[in-house]
Amino acid sequence: MLSDVPEGRLRLTILGGYLGSGKTTWLRHQLHAGTFGPNVHVIVNEAAETPVDDALLGKVTLLAGGCCCCVGRPALITALRGLCDDRSREGGARFDRIVLETSGLADPAAIVAAIQSDPVLVNHILIGETLVAVDALHALAQLASEPLGRRQVGAADQLILTKTDACAPGDLAALQATLAVLNPGAAISAAVLGETVALPPVPPGTMAAALPPLPEEDARGPILPTQIEVDPSLDWSAFALWLSALLHARGDDLVRVKGVLRTPAGRLLLQTVRKVVQSPEILPETPDPGQDNRIVFIGRGYDPKDLTRSLYHFLGRPLPAALKPS
Amino acid sequence: MCNACGNPAVPGHWTDAGAATPGDRLRARFHRVGVLNAILRPYGLTAHDGGVVPGIQLSTLSGAGVIVQNLAEVWSEAERLIGRPIDPLDPRYLNAE
Repeated sequence: MLSDVPEGRLRLTILGGYLGSGKTTWLRHQLHAGTFGPNVHVIVNEAAETPVDDALLGKVTLLAGGCCCCVGRPALITALRGLCDDRSREGGARFDRIVLETSGLADPAAIVAAIQSDPVLVNHILIGETLVAVDALHALAQLASEPLGRRQVGAADQLILTKTDACAPGDLAALQATLAVLNPGAAISAAVLGETVALPPVPPGTMAAALPPLPEEDARGPILPTQIEVDPSLDWSAFALWLSALLHARGDDLVRVKGVLRTPAGRLLLQTVRKVVQSPEILPETPDPGQDNRIVFIGRGYDPKDLTRSLYHFLGRPLPAALKPS
Repeated sequence: MCNACGNPAVPGHWTDAGAATPGDRLRARFHRVGVLNAILRPYGLTAHDGGVVPGIQLSTLSGAGVIVQNLAEVWSEAERLIGRPIDPLDPRYLNAE
């Protein structure tokens, strides 16, 4: 562990975890509870063009449109340099800690490497712990099939198991044993909706799940974000029909769907993880509804254009000319 | 919940969100079943939702019928009745004019 004396440097906490593992939920609660102290600045990175998480967190620096461990790395470095500049200036912002919530596709180890190889940032930022949220319901399946999920677990100083309340005790013990094999050095804790809960002890003799060796990338191709702009006149019932059919048929390939839709009841936050749809949440009205009615699909095994074509087809509407099959 | 049939088992499927008032909810149900019928017709299935009892009634052309609770169950029942899932990204479906 790095020294506790930051020597005037900013302490950076990286919060990673797979898509839908509960990073934002956890962070929202910790910010509310003041775990990171009063002088904290939050940076949220999203791989897709449409930010959703910032609507949940309040005032943050947002880096959208590129995962900050690869394509969005220059944007992250620029943002961090800007924060360091601002803090060094007389009368500048007073904060002594940064929390970076990565996108679900990010490899935390690549971010640490990027910051440490930057000649400016290395003198201003002390990298504290890397927290990785692990979805207790889906993690074993992800670890069995996703190289990225394993890299994220491997990069963690602390693993936070989320959604443990919905997980069978046997599965939870098997997951803990598996994580202890993948990253023996990481402390494991548990949280439900951000609230820390006690983790039951692993019964002696619990076997870690046998994880198959993985090639670097899946044959179905890399997981990519796709954004669909939904017509404001589109009705929610018809959209829900389409999405429920899509999740039934393609739920294993669609790792995440999220967005804010306008419905008669208000602005509805829609989020899914594989086939599980979270109860939609009504968000408060905003003066800038520019990001509404855009849905982000993160998945693979399909042509991104087919999503829009399918939606129009499903609703019996004429296709926009750009999407007609050639 | 109905004592005899146990319906509805769970209040509020996610697809029922988006309608805040009872009137909106009823309108949304009628509208939804209309769209659903247009989708199911090519597969030889019909959906009926009278708005009085909870659930959606799904039936085949030969008259076999089943009552399902929500849209997620509509798709799994349709898969059982047709023999394959209704996949919105199926190329045959996408390229049909």
